[in-house]
Amino acid sequence: MCKRLAIVLLTMAFAIVAAAAQTTPTEGVGTPSVTVLDKQEVQGILGRDVRSTADENMGRIVDVLVDGAGTARAAIIDFGGFLGVGSRKIAVDWKALHFVPAAEKRYGIVLELTRDQVKPAPEYKEGKPIVVLGASGNLETLP
Amino acid sequence: MTETRPASPPHPSQRSLGRLDWFVFLVADVQTGFGPFVAVYLTTQHWTQIDIGLVLTVAGLVSLFGQIPGGALIDAVRSERVVAAIGVSMIAAAALIYATFPIFPAVLLAATMQAAASCVVGPAIAAISLGLVGHAAIGERFGRNARFASIGAGLSAGVMGAVGYFLSAQAVFFVTAALLIPALFVLHGIDPKEIDPERAHGNLSEEPAGKPRADLRSLLRQRPLLVFGCCILLFHFANAAMLPLMGSVLTTRLSQLAPVLIAACIVGPQLVVALFSPWVGRQTQRWGRRPLLIAGFAVLPIRGFLFAVVTDPYLLVVVQLLDGLTAGIFNVMVPLTVADLTRGTGRFNLTQGVVGTMMGVGAALSPTFAGYLSDTFGSPIAFAGLAAIAVVGLATVGLLMPETRPAQSPADAEASGRRKRPSAAGCRSSSS
Repeated sequence: MCKRLAIVLLTMAFAIVAAAAQTTPTEGVGTPSVTVLDKQEVQGILGRDVRSTADENMGRIVDVLVDGAGTARAAIIDFGGFLGVGSRKIAVDWKALHFVPAAEKRYGIVLELTRDQVKPAPEYKEGKPIVVLGASGNLETLP
Repeated sequence: MTETRPASPPHPSQRSLGRLDWFVFLVADVQTGFGPFVAVYLTTQHWTQIDIGLVLTVAGLVSLFGQIPGGALIDAVRSERVVAAIGVSMIAAAALIYATFPIFPAVLLAATMQAAASCVVGPAIAAISLGLVGHAAIGERFGRNARFASIGAGLSAGVMGAVGYFLSAQAVFFVTAALLIPALFVLHGIDPKEIDPERAHGNLSEEPAGKPRADLRSLLRQRPLLVFGCCILLFHFANAAMLPLMGSVLTTRLSQLAPVLIAACIVGPQLVVALFSPWVGRQTQRWGRRPLLIAGFAVLPIRGFLFAVVTDPYLLVVVQLLDGLTAGIFNVMVPLTVADLTRGTGRFNLTQGVVGTMMGVGAALSPTFAGYLSDTFGSPIAFAGLAAIAVVGLATVGLLMPETRPAQSPADAEASGRRKRPSAAGCRSSSS
């Protein structure tokens, strides 16, 4: 009984210390620095349409894969289909994607591949090896 | 209501029957936007795959576990019309929430509402049908329901595909919500006095009102019902993944035309159902249920096998038309067989819920099974696997499923004779 009480007290003590540790730095340093980004320069990409250089519809970006350093390696596009039937998720090399800034007249996301190059690529699935379609249409497996 | 009612044969007016046609059509329209399209729409609203998956899973579970309570509710209420009206209003409200508040809690609520309401609206339509026309003419009525549901689903898939492509994914849900107004209007036009609530629950009209409903456990222990439930499970296990898998195959083979061909694969079979199901409804009385059920099941392995061997994309669309034959038969046979098996029990809708749950289990197993086979061995083996399950289902129907067409009672014969339909004369001569 005593032992359990001690554990509870200890846990509470730890929680308080942890909470204090979390709040102190922000209080000490003050507000973290902020950068204001120009809306014309950056854009959210989740759910955005992707076009090919020939202006074909290449589907939408549904996810982005990053490595341990936080560098974007591949984007998952949801490609093809009608009313959601028959669409396939395909991983394409991040380098094959070009982001035209919003300031441009025809802004958007351009994929340096054609529909014919994307259609035979294997589907991206959780728990399966990730096969990425490169800019030249070659397939590469991410470790 | 009196204690013992006269054995009044059903005499629905043409107006009520016509309004029911339209209601079935509009409900099918309203339901089209939900389904795989929800994932597409939420993607355009910057949703992550994890959140989309969660919402779809919750909706799937609600629609699976809501079937039996939904059916029990319809058996308990006295006005199927009111329940159907509340149901379609909930579905339309869900569509409006999707369109206007694509934030997580709101969408989760909307998905739950839509799934729960669907568990009620489907049985309510079948109950209104049975309440209007009675057991003697129900085969033909379910044939008509299947026709109008297919016209609705096919037409709205085309229209909503166009709306989604030319306007926005969001606009699809506004169109869906707007369809509530005509749906409620036509539902209001069905005369409630013509819907006999006892008949709608599966009681026979010549029996006294207030008869206790059949014991649930003994009902569910009926062998033909269990066999039929298993057949339906196997049917959806074999069938549900075929179209999505085929669509995915088309996407890998064709670049520009795939969406058009997938659209044809969705709409084409609906046209076949629309042409074919009223005929099925009539033949259920003449030939009996068993031959049609066997024929419907026999088409499924053929389709699976052809998908496994055919590579030409255009030919695949032609093979997909076979789906229309199976669907044309099953859309009539499922509610009809349940109506047969629950005659005089007062548990028609609850039993529909039980069969609906089996359907949901089969449909849930199907993509997992087909996905595993397709990832490991390729899509031809996946189609062959689905075809093999269809063969098991065919064997189950062929060996274990009895004929459920009831011998006609004098009241029913009189009822069908009154309407002077050529098919009614035909069915009387064959079954008596």
